[in-house]
Amino acid sequence: MALAGITSYIKSSSLYKTVQSGTQRVQQAFYDCIPNGSITSEKWQKRIKWVGREISSPENRLILGVTALMSQPFIDAHNKSVDEQTRKVSVCRTVAKILAGTSTGVLIRYGCIGAINKWSKLPTSVNKMGQKIKLNKLNTLFSPSNAGHELSEAVKQYRNTLGTILSLFVMSITNFVIDAPLTRFLTNKFIDKYAGGVKNDTSK
Amino acid sequence: MTPLNNLAEFASTKFMGLKNYLYKHYGEEPGKMLVHTGVLSWTLSAAAQVMAIVFNDKISKKEKLFLIPQECADAGINILSFYLVTNAFTNFGTKLVKTGKLTTPLIDKYIKDNKIKDIGKITTDISKDMPPDVLNEFKSLKSGISVLTNTVGSILSCNILTPILRNEYAARKQKEILTKENKNPNLQSPAGVQIFKPVSMSAYQKLAYTKFSGSDMKI
Repeated sequence: MALAGITSYIKSSSLYKTVQSGTQRVQQAFYDCIPNGSITSEKWQKRIKWVGREISSPENRLILGVTALMSQPFIDAHNKSVDEQTRKVSVCRTVAKILAGTSTGVLIRYGCIGAINKWSKLPTSVNKMGQKIKLNKLNTLFSPSNAGHELSEAVKQYRNTLGTILSLFVMSITNFVIDAPLTRFLTNKFIDKYAGGVKNDTSK
Repeated sequence: MTPLNNLAEFASTKFMGLKNYLYKHYGEEPGKMLVHTGVLSWTLSAAAQVMAIVFNDKISKKEKLFLIPQECADAGINILSFYLVTNAFTNFGTKLVKTGKLTTPLIDKYIKDNKIKDIGKITTDISKDMPPDVLNEFKSLKSGISVLTNTVGSILSCNILTPILRNEYAARKQKEILTKENKNPNLQSPAGVQIFKPVSMSAYQKLAYTKFSGSDMKI
């Protein structure tokens, strides 16, 4: 209640209104520079819709991991603030960290979303054989009451959201239990091979 | 009733508000979900790093007084750059579709048939009063474009902007510490320090040793 009061007070203040209208004018000027466009190609329409339907947090994390491998080692390799040996170790550590973080991140996200899918069944849910699933307390543990009975796109996105949130809490622990030791192991392997064998103790 | 069923009943009734909120707010906006869970991911990751310092017996109280605010500042850079860039990109993509700047032939026809004005004005929402078939097309296009722009924004912030900012910040902080060490002989590193030269391997390892892992360890 107090937070709602503070929010409405800020929103009704003249300073907020001035800033908001200024921001809107800048945004509008930016949008005015962009020409109107229509996606006429059916192939591209299908691709864009597929991205919205199928790309969720595990795929997003995988894309970030792959692109990180293509950019971050080069940024570290050109960091003039540190000496050459440090740069080599830093590149090895960055590559190790990306590999460890991406693999655990993607797998745990998939696992948690899968678990939420199992525990958020709807009255129309069917098993692999096409038979209706008998609902109980456990398999409807995470079913939202406002979702209706059909497995809509919104329900799938809801499951992805809840699964991702659950995975983040799981990863707060695995970050230390799996990621950190795996990063150290891989870093030392890479250093042995590519940076003259200087042992890395930085991830202890 | 088994304890598992008791727990299931407790969770299904107590958290109904939360579940319904998530369904309502993220069900049709996967791009927004990716931004918000991304921020949560950076926040939890940073909180875990701070906790690792707080509960590390090998770090002295004096070092903790320096390392904890440093870790928080580092987290601030990560979270802010991620949120500002990724959110701006996602909003940009969503608004392109919402204002009618980016359409498909079906949506285009709807706009022309209904003579919708103010196309491209940022307060315009063309989805008001849309018939179900056009609305479905609109929602699919909006989801796809918001995920695409979100991905571009995430790549830019996580893989380019944040590492550059963090490297700059870390190098500055390391030099500050080495300068302080040089002024105070009791704290001086046995390997010697190079204040105005690039940070050396031994200094880098000595300083990094006090941390559990890099704060850029996104979960």
